[in-house]
Amino acid sequence: MVESPPLRVVLAKVGLDGHDRGIKVVARALRDAGMQVIYAGLWQTPEAIVRTLADEDADWLGLSILSGAHMTLVPRILQMLREAGLEHVGVLVGGIIPEGDIPKLLDMGVARVFGPGTALPEIVSFLQQRSGAGHA
Amino acid sequence: MLETLLERFRQRDRLALARLVSLVARGERVEEILAGVGEAGKPARVVAVTGSGGVGKSTLVGKLIEEVRRQGQTVAVLACDPQSPLSGGALLGDRFRMPSRPDDDGVFIRSLAAAGGQGALAEHLAALIRLLEAFGFDVVLIETVGAGQGDTVVRELVDVLVLLLQPETGDDLQWEKAGLLEVADVIVIHKADLPGAERVEAQVLATLALGMGPVVPVLRISSRTGNGLQELWQTIADQPLRRGRQQSGRDLLRLAQQILAARFATAETSGRPELRQLLAEWQAGDITSSRAASALLNLLRPIGERLA
Repeated sequence: MVESPPLRVVLAKVGLDGHDRGIKVVARALRDAGMQVIYAGLWQTPEAIVRTLADEDADWLGLSILSGAHMTLVPRILQMLREAGLEHVGVLVGGIIPEGDIPKLLDMGVARVFGPGTALPEIVSFLQQRSGAGHA
Repeated sequence: MLETLLERFRQRDRLALARLVSLVARGERVEEILAGVGEAGKPARVVAVTGSGGVGKSTLVGKLIEEVRRQGQTVAVLACDPQSPLSGGALLGDRFRMPSRPDDDGVFIRSLAAAGGQGALAEHLAALIRLLEAFGFDVVLIETVGAGQGDTVVRELVDVLVLLLQPETGDDLQWEKAGLLEVADVIVIHKADLPGAERVEAQVLATLALGMGPVVPVLRISSRTGNGLQELWQTIADQPLRRGRQQSGRDLLRLAQQILAARFATAETSGRPELRQLLAEWQAGDITSSRAASALLNLLRPIGERLA
C-alpha cells in the first residue's frame, strides 16, 4: 500500500478584496490536516493564479471572494485553467456567494462552494474524499 | 507515463517540469528522472539565501529575481518552508512575497515543504538543482528554511551561500559562535534602513577580521528602499562557481546516497520479501548490524548486478 502524497492546495484571493481572515483560517485548518498549503495571498490576478497553480503542481485551488465579483472572476479562471492544460485542478470557492449563484458556479465546473458558517472539518473531509477518488 | 513526462520536459514543457519537481522532492523515481532529463547545457549559478525567520529571505529573493531578469538571465526559485512534524502539513507562504509577472517564462517559483528541517531537504536538493539546470535556467535561487547547523550541508550543494542578518540581532558574542558566519560566502545586513545596521556591520567585520579564512564581502541592503540590491547581485555574480570545482568525491557520494535512498524507499513501499526478511533477521538479532547493512547494499543493487 503506497501512502498518497500530501495534497497541494493553492489558496488565493482575486481582485480588489482585502478581507483575508477567512482564507487564513482555512489555510491553518488544511495545514493541520496534513496538506501542503501554498498561500498566494491578496490581490491576485487570474493570470498570476494560473501560473502559481502550474509551477506549484497543485491539486486544488481555493478561491476566497467577498467582493461580489465571483460571476466575472470564476468563469475567467476556469477558462484559463482549461487553456493552460490544468483541467485536473479542482476549484473551490468560499466567501460571500448569493444562494442563487451557487448552482451557476457548480455548472461552470466549480467543485464546491463553501459559504460563511461552514465547519472546517467539512472542507477538509471534502478535499480528502474527492482526492481519494480518481484524483491524480 | 514517466517516459511521456520526460519527453515533455525535454520539449521544455513547464507543467512537466513542475510535475517532475514534485516527484523528485518526494524522493520518487529520482534515478530514472535524472537519467532521463539529460545533462545541463551549461551549469547554472546556484545561490542559497539563509538566515533566521523574519530576517527577510523571501523579500530579498523576490528582489534578486528582478535583478537577475534585468541582466537578461532566467531564474528558478526553490522556496523552502518547514513542514509540521505532527501533521505533515505545511503552510508555504514564501511566494506571496516574491511578486513576478505571470507572463514571464524566465521565472519559475516553486514552494517546498522541508520535512525534519534542512537535512531531509538537502537529501533531494542536489537532484532538484540538476533538474532545474537541465531545464536550462541560468540561475537557481534557494531560500532555506532558516539558519542553523543544517546550512553547512546546503553550502556544499550551492555555488554561493548568502547569509542574512538584521539590526538588533544580539550582542557581538553571537557572531563568535561557530557555524553561522563561517559558512557564508556573502553576508548581507538586511533591513539596513532601520537603525543599528552600521553597528551590526561593524561587529560582523570585527569578528571576520579575527579569522584566517578568505575575505567575505559584507553588504548593507534595504529591500524596502532598494539600496544596495544591484551591488548585491553583482557581488554574488562575481563569486567563483564552487560546485564545478568541487565536483569530486563528495558530490558523487551524495548522489549515490540519494539513489540508494530512493531504491530503499521503492523496496520498502512495494514490500519486497527479501527486504522484509532481512529486516526481521536483523531486528531479531540473528545477524549483526554491519552484516545486515552489507546485505542491504547488495539487495538494493539492480537485479543482475547482485552478488550471490
